[in-house]
Amino acid sequence: MIANQIALIRRELWEHRSIFVTPIAIGLILSLGVLMTEGMLATHTAEVDIGIAAASNMGDESHRSAVINGLLFVPSVIIFIGMSILVIFYSLDSLYAERKDKSILFWRSLPVTDAETVISKALTGAFVIPLVSFVVIVATQLISMILTSIWIMIEGGNAVHLIWAPASLVSLWAATLAGVLLMSLWLTPFLGWFLFVSAFAKRMPLLLAALPIIMLPMLENWIFGSRIFFDAFFVRTIQPIRDAEEAAKATFEISDNLHVSSFIADPWQAIEFGAFFAKPDLWAGLIVSAIFITAAVYVRRYRDES
Amino acid sequence: MTSLVKAHGVSKQFGRVRAVDNVSFEIEKGKIMGLIGPNGAGKTTLLKAVLGLTDFDGELSVLGLNPFRQRKELMQNICFISDVAVLPRWIRVSQLLDFVEATHPNFSRKKAESLLEKTNVNTRRDSRVRELSKGMVTQLHLSIIAAIDARLLILDEPTLGLDIIFRKEFYANLLSDYFDEERTILVTTHQVEEIENILTDIMFINEGRIILDTPMDSLTDSYVELMTSGERADKARKMGPIAERDIFGKSVMLFERPDRDRLGELGELHTPSVADLFVAKIKGAAA
Repeated sequence: MIANQIALIRRELWEHRSIFVTPIAIGLILSLGVLMTEGMLATHTAEVDIGIAAASNMGDESHRSAVINGLLFVPSVIIFIGMSILVIFYSLDSLYAERKDKSILFWRSLPVTDAETVISKALTGAFVIPLVSFVVIVATQLISMILTSIWIMIEGGNAVHLIWAPASLVSLWAATLAGVLLMSLWLTPFLGWFLFVSAFAKRMPLLLAALPIIMLPMLENWIFGSRIFFDAFFVRTIQPIRDAEEAAKATFEISDNLHVSSFIADPWQAIEFGAFFAKPDLWAGLIVSAIFITAAVYVRRYRDES
Repeated sequence: MTSLVKAHGVSKQFGRVRAVDNVSFEIEKGKIMGLIGPNGAGKTTLLKAVLGLTDFDGELSVLGLNPFRQRKELMQNICFISDVAVLPRWIRVSQLLDFVEATHPNFSRKKAESLLEKTNVNTRRDSRVRELSKGMVTQLHLSIIAAIDARLLILDEPTLGLDIIFRKEFYANLLSDYFDEERTILVTTHQVEEIENILTDIMFINEGRIILDTPMDSLTDSYVELMTSGERADKARKMGPIAERDIFGKSVMLFERPDRDRLGELGELHTPSVADLFVAKIKGAAA
């Protein structure tokens, strides 16, 4: 069972190289952006010197720490957004491509159950892709920090004092890892729905998957005047973006009045596991995704392609 | 003798069409059974039922298992190559071997490697399936299947789209690398003449029903072809041939359970080819 899962997930990584390519490409572009920005600043020697001097003398360690942590969150958020789009395309393709390229009968000729196969695709979307993205986030942060250190050293600053000492890397990475995984759990109803659409769609799975998500809240509101679907979708998609915006604003407040939000000072401490797992919405979402995934297994099992 | 496959009253309906209609048969261990039928006769549907890829009505047991409910257990002891079970185009040869090795308890990597060494795929371990020719893909597929210690091998039009050299090679390799008395093969094909000399048993299927199920040995006893002409042809015609055709002005008649002595007086006797017998049976069933 577990050996089969490992083989099946490896198979997913062989087939969908975008699982690596997408986050790595985003990470490289971001690193290149850091490098280019630093290169462009080379002509503004005076301003850079003043900036470095100001930063070196800014507040105490906790303030420098907040700024660095806040800056390091930027690549995480961008890669996370890229990852979410990747999961949509991956899950819509995962059970559709094997029918389109007619390899499904070959896969089904091996002693692997339909449930094992569909579960491997759900696990890939829910955990493997977030884990790969996490590794790329860490690598991008390290590359940016190393590039910036070299630049600061060339400009005559102290990189250890400015960057490495204040960055709460362990706390930040622990929080990022927890964040991508919890967020992924939070979004599983969409993953389940996409897998289900991927299992039954004859063509255009993206359109088939998107239509109900857009139409259901509109129809519900128009016919019944209620907004159950709207709220259910809102709480999972728009709400987290608003929360992230709030967190970003809190980071900006640092420069105005040197107020350091707890989130940015010690990200790991700020993650509330208890509150997260106590949310009924989380469990309702997991049940919904389990229903969709079970439905996808049945479609794969009972569908006759002939 | 033990029956590996036992079907009793198996039916499969698609809407109003009965693709497989109340079919009963048995396949014993160590046989090479040919399942012959025209397009749309229900061959593939019947094979899918045997493979557990589709549900069905009636009783069907394969290696003592219910194929649809116990597909995973079944697939450990059964292999199939089908024209429609194509290898994924994106996978590399080495990845394919890795995957089958990881998921199939009865797969011998060593045997697959040594079989591949004899083929054109040998130097292409890092190639993707899409970069291989159709012949190479079939060689690859057969090498993998032959390296699985399975009790039943099911072949559904395995050589479709291959040129004649690969087709001959395919069946030669099948017999040398795969078949022994512990193993059983069920094969369907359009090119019946290519496999008739390797079959031990034969089954004809038409419109979802089995119209002939016999060992190859008894075919020669049960059927005879008479080549004759003129007056003797009229006499022969009165003896009730199941089919008649003309070749170069001579009549060729096919008889079931013939009176050989009397027929022998009327012309030349031959053993009919499976293809001719098949045509006669299908036409007879339609009449």
